Amino acid sequence: MSILANKETRVVIQGGPAGVNAARRMAEFCYLIKQPLNVEAFVYPPEAGKTNEIPYGSGLITVPVYATVAEATKHHPAINTSLVYIGADRAMKAGMEALDDPHIKLVSMITEGVPEKDAKLLGAHARKLGKIFNGPSSIGIISAGACRLGVIGGAYDNLVLSKLYREGSFGVITKSGGLSNEIIWICSQFADGITTAIGIGGDTYPGTDYVTYLEMFEQDPQTKAVVIVGEMGGDLEERAAEWYGAQKRRIKLIGIVSGFCQESLPKGMKFGHAGAKEGMKGEGSARSKSEALKRAGAIVPPTFGALGPAIKEVYQELLKSGQVKEIVEPTSLPKLPKTVEEAMKADEVIVTPLIRTTISDDRGDEPYYDGYPASELINKGYDIPHVIGLLWDKRLISKQEAEIIRRIIMLSADHGPCVSGAYATILAACAGIGMAQAVAAGLIMIGPRFGGAVTDAGRWFKYAVDNKMSVDEFLAYMKKNVGPVPGIGHRVKSLRNPDKRVKELVAYVKSLNIKTPCLDFALQVEQVTAAKKENLILNVDGTMAAILVDLGFPVDSLNGFFILARTIGLIGHWVDQKRQDSRLIRLFDYLVNYAVPKRREVPPLR
Amino acid sequence: MAKVLEGPGMGLMKKWGIHVPNYVVVTSAEELDKLGQANDWLKQGKLVAKAHEALGSRFKLGLVKVGLDLQGAIAAVKEMIGRQVGSITVSQVIISEMVSHTEEYYCAVKSVREGSEILVANCGGVEVESNWDRVKRLLVEIGQQPAHEELERVVKDAGFTGPLIKKMADFAAKLFTCFDNEDAQYLEVNPVVMRESDGELVALDAVTLLDADAKFRHPDWNFQFAAEFGRAYTKNELEIMAIDSKIKGSVKFIEIPGGDTAMLPAGGGASVYYSDAVVALGGKLANYAEYSGDPPDWAVEALTEKVCSLPGIKNIIVGGAIANFTDVKKTFGGIINGFRKAKADGKLKGVKIWVRRGGPREKEGLEAMRALKEEGFDIEVFDRYTPLTDIVDKALAGK
Repeated sequence: MSILANKETRVVIQGGPAGVNAARRMAEFCYLIKQPLNVEAFVYPPEAGKTNEIPYGSGLITVPVYATVAEATKHHPAINTSLVYIGADRAMKAGMEALDDPHIKLVSMITEGVPEKDAKLLGAHARKLGKIFNGPSSIGIISAGACRLGVIGGAYDNLVLSKLYREGSFGVITKSGGLSNEIIWICSQFADGITTAIGIGGDTYPGTDYVTYLEMFEQDPQTKAVVIVGEMGGDLEERAAEWYGAQKRRIKLIGIVSGFCQESLPKGMKFGHAGAKEGMKGEGSARSKSEALKRAGAIVPPTFGALGPAIKEVYQELLKSGQVKEIVEPTSLPKLPKTVEEAMKADEVIVTPLIRTTISDDRGDEPYYDGYPASELINKGYDIPHVIGLLWDKRLISKQEAEIIRRIIMLSADHGPCVSGAYATILAACAGIGMAQAVAAGLIMIGPRFGGAVTDAGRWFKYAVDNKMSVDEFLAYMKKNVGPVPGIGHRVKSLRNPDKRVKELVAYVKSLNIKTPCLDFALQVEQVTAAKKENLILNVDGTMAAILVDLGFPVDSLNGFFILARTIGLIGHWVDQKRQDSRLIRLFDYLVNYAVPKRREVPPLR
Repeated sequence: MAKVLEGPGMGLMKKWGIHVPNYVVVTSAEELDKLGQANDWLKQGKLVAKAHEALGSRFKLGLVKVGLDLQGAIAAVKEMIGRQVGSITVSQVIISEMVSHTEEYYCAVKSVREGSEILVANCGGVEVESNWDRVKRLLVEIGQQPAHEELERVVKDAGFTGPLIKKMADFAAKLFTCFDNEDAQYLEVNPVVMRESDGELVALDAVTLLDADAKFRHPDWNFQFAAEFGRAYTKNELEIMAIDSKIKGSVKFIEIPGGDTAMLPAGGGASVYYSDAVVALGGKLANYAEYSGDPPDWAVEALTEKVCSLPGIKNIIVGGAIANFTDVKKTFGGIINGFRKAKADGKLKGVKIWVRRGGPREKEGLEAMRALKEEGFDIEVFDRYTPLTDIVDKALAGK
């Protein structure tokens, strides 16, 4: 047997993420004791109509979220308990809502920092209705082998170590949430463990005090002794002493109170929980509480360290008198399934990776590009072209190479609003499309006819140089197998009206006295093609391609230089239209040649 | 509980219809001079000047002056501002008009488990403190209002007679309304006096403790809460309070000068048992500290740095019970970082560190602590099988 929480307890959790986390912990306990999940519903208006997935063993249980407690209990009439994980400013309303629901008999509030007045109102309302309001600031309630409400009991390993999978003989009532686990642990080490442990919360006026629960424990034949862990401040321990001393009680009472340090602290200095404040006239000190408990016949160990041995002594007496029997522990208990990460850490599983990367890693405190920390690159004077070299070609390029790339990007960043890419971005911007999508619209234009010839130009110039072809052999090969030479030809520029960008790039690269076999070959090709037709000149795509191949960049990366450079321009165009608050545009009819058939009659559908 | 100084406390009482004397709170003599030109009552009546700080026995310290004219009050302000009392520097002075009266009474409302209690006595000042049996009480259950007949009965019971019965009952009713609506935990007016000029009962002094947790529903609480400690908070304490106010979970830090045992335990409950254990063995606490509710590691790191910076410490107690949901590995990570920083700054020389803890990821956390030995820290690490406060016994064994 146990008190308050048992195998019939069915729970609604009022709250968001903290409540979901509690439900997970509760599911772990249910799994340990082989009981179905005791959480039937959540109440959380912002997520009403959705569901929360709670891991149970290696599976997932779907728990619905409702807007009100009434809705939850209507759909789940077995619910008899509510746990409140709602913020302090809305906690009272949530608590009242639960108390007012006829299905609910017990409300336990985890919220900390609830105004004192609200806590008193909740407590009084519960008493009026004959219900239990536990908390605020309660870590929860746990009945060994039967029911867990909240995160009390801690991690799964601790549940097992503290033997919470089966009943013992000791009841526990604490103000402190952290100490509840410690006492449960002590009861399992020095005795046979607990029946029920309750966190009543560390506030000055908790909704339910020791006495109410002592009465319940007194009525629970399985509970033979109760440990209460008190604190200075308030009068709850004195009331417990008064109750214990009032008549002969079946249960043994073991009590300990903190706050003796107060006696040797500078006057007025107080600390601990909200409730740990001495009264105005000195009442409520640790000493007066301890004395009151002793006078009432309770066992009061002098220090916390002496608590374990005191519990052991009580247990030995209970054994001797035959009130309790030694418990035979089960030989095996369910093991909580590990997550993949945990199992990998324990060398228990092999996982085949889904993807493989060779260029970058940001699992540390900053990104590493091909092994180099980004901050170190910055601090040692490296620049954006070096990052391009690391991420596109996995090598740290030289200062000279970086300068060439910088110039290529600067020269290709934009080419006015009329070209396909910019026009598409502008059109999208005017239609009110967001930046990422509008820029993507411009990037989609990059292909065989616009900006997308860099890779192909590089591929064929490299093919010719690698195979030591002459210009004539190359042109013949291209004519037969490929078609027009990528990188050669311009819509408006010609030998007499050269592309200034090409001249600039070629002159700069030539001035460096480096080996440029591809560029040299491309220029030779131009000599021949331009002689045949004026506008068959080496265009900017072909120039970039030849230079980048000469620098050693892989052919497949070459279009990337144009895409990267032009993205700068496309973003500029989008921002430009946005800044002007441009209107939606459409083509004028006079810009369209309507080469369509004249109006004609639609024949009947056959 | 949060203490509010006299000025804002009287402000709250005035808000709920209680007569209070005219008053101003100033930070300089010049300010009072200007206020004197603007307000007739400062020029015409007799004045009282009091240091507006969380100080006890101000009268003995010479920080209360009575029967002043404006020039006298300005001189008093000049004298008081900047006075150092312990760790508190006087920075504000409250100037109020003297209310001439003959009789003094007492009225208070305090929070009790069932609701609140209204206290009245027909004597005031020091007289009521030495005659506490003359205080009569009326319990008001939570959610209820005191009936006027009941108030009159208690007032009569306290020895009030004639027309004063109704007046005092009215005063108590107003004080209760203020208490109830302002989320107060304690309101005390000592003395309540009858103003000779119009026969009204006036609150001459206000002790106001408010429920800081209720601040969210009181947008007009625009005043600062005074330190409850009888001293001002130190810079380090304020820094940790600032962190505490913006994180999930909590970190707390209070300095106790002269101690040699530094505390860095987890949990509002366990931390006090650790402090008790130190005191029980004759040790001297250098501080109080506590972290709980799974706070972020950086907050615990900041707390650790403060603890390591305490002067003259010999031991640091990194204690804790078996946590429910505080991640031991993560919070210990913060502590370890703090230790490393302190060591790099030349602190922790000759300081021994004692660790005991349990909870989620306890193995990993304790392992990381043990590894500090290899970095040259003097550290002893214990797990859940060592009882909670045994590390204090071990640390102080040499004493």
